Amino acid sequence: MNLKQTVNRKLKGHADQTELNLTAVMNVFLILIPFLLLTAVFVKITVLELSLPRISKDTSRTVMEKPASIILNILLIKETGFQLKSPDLTFAPIDTGQTDYKWDELAKQLDTIKKTHPESNEIIISPENTIKYDTIIGVMDRCREAGLPNISISG
Amino acid sequence: MNYPNIKSGTRRSRSATFTLRLTSMIDMMTILLVFLLKSYDAEGQIVTITDDLRLPESTSQLLPRVTSVISITSNWILIDGRPVETLQTIKADEQLLIPSLRQELSNLRQITEGIGEMSESMDGFQGNISIQSDRDITFDLLKRILITCADVGYNNMLLTVMQKE
Repeated sequence: MNLKQTVNRKLKGHADQTELNLTAVMNVFLILIPFLLLTAVFVKITVLELSLPRISKDTSRTVMEKPASIILNILLIKETGFQLKSPDLTFAPIDTGQTDYKWDELAKQLDTIKKTHPESNEIIISPENTIKYDTIIGVMDRCREAGLPNISISG
Repeated sequence: MNYPNIKSGTRRSRSATFTLRLTSMIDMMTILLVFLLKSYDAEGQIVTITDDLRLPESTSQLLPRVTSVISITSNWILIDGRPVETLQTIKADEQLLIPSLRQELSNLRQITEGIGEMSESMDGFQGNISIQSDRDITFDLLKRILITCADVGYNNMLLTVMQKE
């Protein structure tokens, strides 16, 4: 028997079946995954800032600042829809759709305000008494996205 | 010849070095690992949410700060987890200010101011307050709570929301 041939055949067969030894990697994964699962955060909490004008005099010094021009944007939220008011612009009221408010149209009208008055940052939101908190937050989001970050709420 | 002998020999050695095929399992684990690393947050939560509270969703990116918390659930108003008043009693009352909430808030303000006087390193009274409110609360109630906060001197309200993806 040719020994060289047999050894060669044996080696060749072995080389075909080479496999990585992944057991160590698996061990690391098995430790990492439960650890990461424990520290994973699936709901992230953020805040929306809302400042009211100071009522009581003793809280701090009041800064008197006169803006160059006041552009008063007012947004009414009703059960039946939105109504925007801005100087030099007239907007048709946005009626509520079948199920939800028409957010896209509100965003469009807010964009028009920002285009006409690029320097304005303020908007006053005036919801009706029956409006839900969720809706108010939604409106505040749309206003901020449209470039009107200074939001006041008026009752 | 020796052929059958060699064959039986290889069979024996194969069974001795038997290995699990782990490649597909490694694939799965890698995907899991990447997903979990993505949702990993080293900062931890500084806000605790009261039970039975469904916060509204928002696109805001502002991170919460450490302040006192007013929680408005569907039945109760709580300050830092202590129940103050039921919503039923508040709704029955006609006036804008909520007396019991006002009382609690002014106590809280006095304590904060006291701490601020005692130690330089503490900030004292800043006028910040977090408001966690259920998404179904109506504006008339929210308005009265905001007015009560402002009346005591808490003018910077942080409305706690859940971040939208």
